[in-house]
Amino acid sequence: MAAKSSLLKVILLGDGGVGKSSLMNRYVTNKFDAHLFHTIGVEFLNKDLEVDGHLVTMQIWDTAGQERFRSLRTPFYRGSDCCLLTFSVDDSQSFLNLANWKKEFIYYADVKEPESFPFVVLGNKVDVTERQVSTEDAQRWCRDNGNHPYYETSAKDATNVAAAFEEAVRRVLAVEERGEHLIPTDTVNLHRKPRSSATCC
Amino acid sequence: MARKALVRLIRNRRTCLDFSYDVNANFTIRLAQLFSCLNKSGEKNKKEVRGGIQCTVSADERNVCFDLLHPQVIFEQEGIFIHSSTESAEDQDSLTAGLLRILDKDGDILVEYKPMEDTVDPSNMLCAGKDSSSVMEWTQCTGDRGHRLVEHQLSYETEWDMLNTVSFKRKQSTSGEGWHCSLDRSKGAFSFNVGELKSIMVKTEGWSRLVFRLREDSGMPALHFHQGGSEAFLDALRRFVHLVQSPNDESCLIVSSQNKALSQSFENLLDDATFGLVQKFKNDPYTTTLGGFSKVTNYIFDAFRGPELLHQQRPAEEVADLLSEVIPGLEVNQQEEPGFEVITRIDLGPRPEVRRREPVSAEDWTEHMDIEGKVQNVSHLKELIFKGGLCHAVRKEAWKFLLGYFPWDSTRDERKSLQKRKTDEYFRMKLQWKSVSEEQERRNSRLRDYRSLIEKDVNRTDRTNKFYEGPDNPGLILLHDILMTYCMYDFDLGYVQGMSDLLSPILYVMENEVDTFWCFVSFMDQMHQNFEEQMQGMKTQLIQLGTLLQLLDLSFWNYLESQDSGYLYFCFRWLLIRFKRELSFQDVLRLWEVMWTGLPCQNFHLLVCCAILDSEKQKIVEENYGFNEILKHINELSMKLDIEEILLKAEAICWQIESCKVCICMSHFILFSIHLPPLLSGAGSRGQQSEQSTPDLPLPAHLLQFLWGNPKANSVHKNNEQNR
Ligand SMILES: Nc1nc2c(ncn2[C@@H]2O[C@H](COP(=O)(O)OP(=O)(O)O)[C@@H](O)[C@H]2O)c(=O)[nH]1
Ligand SMILES: [Mg+2]
Repeated sequence: MAAKSSLLKVILLGDGGVGKSSLMNRYVTNKFDAHLFHTIGVEFLNKDLEVDGHLVTMQIWDTAGQERFRSLRTPFYRGSDCCLLTFSVDDSQSFLNLANWKKEFIYYADVKEPESFPFVVLGNKVDVTERQVSTEDAQRWCRDNGNHPYYETSAKDATNVAAAFEEAVRRVLAVEERGEHLIPTDTVNLHRKPRSSATCC
Repeated sequence: MARKALVRLIRNRRTCLDFSYDVNANFTIRLAQLFSCLNKSGEKNKKEVRGGIQCTVSADERNVCFDLLHPQVIFEQEGIFIHSSTESAEDQDSLTAGLLRILDKDGDILVEYKPMEDTVDPSNMLCAGKDSSSVMEWTQCTGDRGHRLVEHQLSYETEWDMLNTVSFKRKQSTSGEGWHCSLDRSKGAFSFNVGELKSIMVKTEGWSRLVFRLREDSGMPALHFHQGGSEAFLDALRRFVHLVQSPNDESCLIVSSQNKALSQSFENLLDDATFGLVQKFKNDPYTTTLGGFSKVTNYIFDAFRGPELLHQQRPAEEVADLLSEVIPGLEVNQQEEPGFEVITRIDLGPRPEVRRREPVSAEDWTEHMDIEGKVQNVSHLKELIFKGGLCHAVRKEAWKFLLGYFPWDSTRDERKSLQKRKTDEYFRMKLQWKSVSEEQERRNSRLRDYRSLIEKDVNRTDRTNKFYEGPDNPGLILLHDILMTYCMYDFDLGYVQGMSDLLSPILYVMENEVDTFWCFVSFMDQMHQNFEEQMQGMKTQLIQLGTLLQLLDLSFWNYLESQDSGYLYFCFRWLLIRFKRELSFQDVLRLWEVMWTGLPCQNFHLLVCCAILDSEKQKIVEENYGFNEILKHINELSMKLDIEEILLKAEAICWQIESCKVCICMSHFILFSIHLPPLLSGAGSRGQQSEQSTPDLPLPAHLLQFLWGNPKANSVHKNNEQNR
């Protein structure tokens, strides 16, 4: 049976320095580069994967987190299938800012039904010993703010990174299977092109 | 048979408004008016009004609105007040601001005043939503019959932004008085034919106040020129009416013979030298091309910001020669829209061969110093640096000049004392943040945020470079301290991501904290706008780059637009930090020193963008890259670019445009009647870039102003200022 490979757009949001770019690179290239530059502008990487028998190409978008660059990054929110809200467990401020990131995303991505939109929360840098955010606090926030799945990750030692991204895919597929359209069909989706179907035996 | 010409306005690199006008029998007259306006009266006009075209530039210069004016606006000034209670009463005057104009409506000269509420009535505005950079306003055209043609233009519903549909709603015509005289007392609006004018009372008490007396006394309100401008208005009026001071009352100007001036404006044309030119225009190719010119013109118009009027006059033969030179380079497409002529291409001619030189050596550098340590022959030296860059050994010294930390004309001793002063100043500012206690910082969220981000970013800046390698590298501490001190130097801006990238090469070259700081300050003066809250510098540059791309290769530009990439997002990183992430570290040093010479034009970095895109466009178009792929492709060029190749191409593009400047200027000239460009022979200007820094060269300052603006601005003069 030939299966269609679909393109999923996933966007990483969170304060500067929480490890968004490192997570993306860890997941796509399986490398951790401690010398990575801080992100300027907008970048994305593609990754093909199979989740529960579905072939998907995940397009992971990474942006610069500083407030000043908001007008640059927000146009890229549109058409996202999933949003990965990221903080760093050794930085309580980045945790407190999750709500703002979520709000910003919902506003600019023009999400019609924020309640059912798939968010996944990532608490990164769990390899660090001096934590400022406890697992319980993070889990509570996720529960109270829409029951989002929560993953504690480390881009440095690869803990849970693949699991978190795969969860994102599952969430999207689940929503689509329920026949819901995250993006109303009458909206022109500028940043998304149908991918030519890949086949698999 | 009526011909139609299409005028296409392009806003933010999008076609935003098309409208047509008849190239009818009056065409010659209109042209004549245009030239007459240029030759005779231009200096009296408000700069936005040029020969039947009103160009309204919003205060922030982002929004430009072109308006073919029928009637033609001869004078215009906003901020003229009427005091709506009686003129004499000082108490409780309510002020109404308004727009005063002199209009030429097919030979009828009208004075018109409209309160601002009218002109800024939301129903008279084109408004776009979220993105403020795409707001376009029509600041005129309320409902008067005389504005028939204007009405025609504005009846378009224009969809012009991918996010916003905007439409223009026209207010219903209220007054039907015609053009003799109308006075809407309730609002204070009035207009009258200058033929009706009997006298003007001019009173000056702090500001000037004018009261018009008409033949039929209709009791005009006094116009208060709180912001000045009454003289300019009277001067403009004097072209049409003869004003003489009343023998009895020196504050009264009496109209002696108004007819004379009226007819003059037309008749003079025919014996004027301009007539020959007008005749030429009547010939078909010229006439038909003319409508199309506007489109080309509009490619350039974003470049055309905040010009100062420079008026020069040229003999008509020269003008005519220029035109015939220009027009063969234009390609007119009649197919695109039946009945319209649209210029689809402007031929820039071939790109010249250019060469680069060896970098400036230590010997070259010292040769340019006199005994006191003053730099000799600065422009020649800059040229050498532009052509070859600097040997690394020279950089530490030369960059201080290039960046403007050291004035070029300073002696060694002067520089010593400057450095001493600057050292004290630096450490004073450094102490400021150093002495903030933890407790204080807890209450200062901005400082805390700056510090936290600086700490994070310093650890992520050029860490593969030997100079910044390894844990506890002392370079990182310096980067940190300098950036923190910069926050004290400019707390409003503080630290914005990208600044560490601009700093790191400077520290690498200077190897000295204080010198690095002040060189960085100078560099930041150039780059400041990129990092400001609204990122105005980025927006401006992206628009200017768009203008250039349209000019250089319209089909590539169209391709980008068709892929929703006309906003040039993909060039953001290039521009924000001047290619810092795109080139190898050594190449960044080379590019920056070349750029800092200010040669061969301002904003050379935009031509660097063009050069890179020129090499990539084939691939982008052939592979049919979409929005995402273009972004990805451009991002992935990082570290794969060859600086020397890019510099060669960018310089060649510069000369290519330069040699065609006449052409671009002419197209501009025709519709916007800016001053005439100097004659530039295409070949002669090449290789003579020093010409550009000759202050008295009459430059077509309005065109591609960001490249060839004020010649004095060619150097990084701005930085010299701050050392005073
Ligand atoms: N210890 C640790 N450090 C990390 C981890 N992920 C990222 N970092 C570091 O945190 C800093 C910021 O990472 P980056 O990916 O640039 O963050 P971004 O601004 O969110 O993209 C870098 O110095 C990374 O090396 C992690 O999982 N563990
Ligand atoms: Mg990043």
